[in-house]
Amino acid sequence: MFTVRSTVKTITAHVKPTQQLRYKRDKAGLNPQLERIVNQLSVMSAARKQPRLLKLCDEDYIKHRTVMKAWSLYRKNKIEHNESLLEKQYQSMNEAAAELQSINPKLYEIANEHQFGKRFPLEIRTPTDFPPRQIWFYDYFPKVDGSKQQ
Amino acid sequence: MFQQSVRQFSSSAVAQKVGCAQVKPVHHKVRIIKKFLSPKYPELKYEPHDIRSPKYKPYLTTPDRVQDHYFNTLQSDLLLINYRHGQQPIYGNKRRQWDMTSPYHLNRPLRKPKGQIVPSPTIKPRTYENVPRLEGVTLNCFVKDAKLYPAQAISAALQLQQITGCKPKAIFAKTNVPNWKLRPGMKMGAKITLHGRDASQFISTLTEIVLPRTRDFYGISNRSGDRYGNIAFGLTAEEVKLFPEIENNQDSWPQNFGFDITLHTSAQTDADARILLSGLGFPFTGSERIPKTLLNDLVSEEEEISTTQQ
Repeated sequence: MFTVRSTVKTITAHVKPTQQLRYKRDKAGLNPQLERIVNQLSVMSAARKQPRLLKLCDEDYIKHRTVMKAWSLYRKNKIEHNESLLEKQYQSMNEAAAELQSINPKLYEIANEHQFGKRFPLEIRTPTDFPPRQIWFYDYFPKVDGSKQQ
Repeated sequence: MFQQSVRQFSSSAVAQKVGCAQVKPVHHKVRIIKKFLSPKYPELKYEPHDIRSPKYKPYLTTPDRVQDHYFNTLQSDLLLINYRHGQQPIYGNKRRQWDMTSPYHLNRPLRKPKGQIVPSPTIKPRTYENVPRLEGVTLNCFVKDAKLYPAQAISAALQLQQITGCKPKAIFAKTNVPNWKLRPGMKMGAKITLHGRDASQFISTLTEIVLPRTRDFYGISNRSGDRYGNIAFGLTAEEVKLFPEIENNQDSWPQNFGFDITLHTSAQTDADARILLSGLGFPFTGSERIPKTLLNDLVSEEEEISTTQQ
């Protein structure tokens, strides 16, 4: 992909129309343009960036395994709990809709319309660890007319 | 019993002789991994997720804000928004059978679907099992000038790496366009596909820092999308300058490169994907077109009557 040798080869031809002189080198090293490219490539390459291999004694290794296993179980239980909640929500939605259909077909039709084009409000924020200084804008009203946003 | 041969005294010897091996040949079916045969280099035999392996890469090292937000608030809302009682699957356009008029139709691969080349997927009713979620983000940076200045492909890749913190892949020209002096195999830029935490990180910087400060950005077009839940839009070179990684170090970025962003979701239609993405902080603008087939996905009244009568 991005290797130093291949790119320098292709780029040297373009950067510097070579007029070959025998036994003469004007400067040591690469010209600044090429140097820049090589620098960029070395930033991207993984060479000498891998951290050293961890050496664990048996006890540490068993500790690590136990902690990881416990943590994975915790995550698994959390996911399963989440899924069961969703399933319960779905079942009760289903039951409620069926009941409404039998009680009042008109209301059912209104309730059962598709919701394409619905959007979460633009003011929705992914929560952060630290809340902002001003938590709530009390005087805020979302723009409705005249703005291009929908 | 065994037929008695005229020429041989013994009949059992003939019967027990087999023409081929009775044991199934498995030696070429079971792949032998040679590293497990030798006692050398025990550290290379561990699974990559084992901490003793050199391939081990720590994962889930930090909390994921966007993911938490999705599971805590968006998921149940999306289930409610997308739900319709009595929804039916909308069958996709699938490959067709041949009408066996010719003997050559036997064993022939199935016929193309009507009016298209690739079959389209069936859209299933929305349940708790298929609540749409964000699966990944692809950044594709195609630099037009890279055909003249190949070094630009490298700096574009470096820019992507700087923004996302992941390693980009080079992209190459596929077609031959003599007028543009474009030939297949030329390195034209870079792309990355982000998953998991990397994708969340990128999305949060995009929606909280970059997009709110871009001029003349009113939202992703409501017409964007590939019909099956992947939404794409583009950033220009000017907008890329607003990424904090580049803005705080402007001197080392004399040139910036715009790129295309594709948001891959598990939604079955674009309309569902847009609802999900609006919850993640992406504004949408323009009028939305929704295919008629999607609107009529309930059980029709005639069918309902017939099922109740039975």
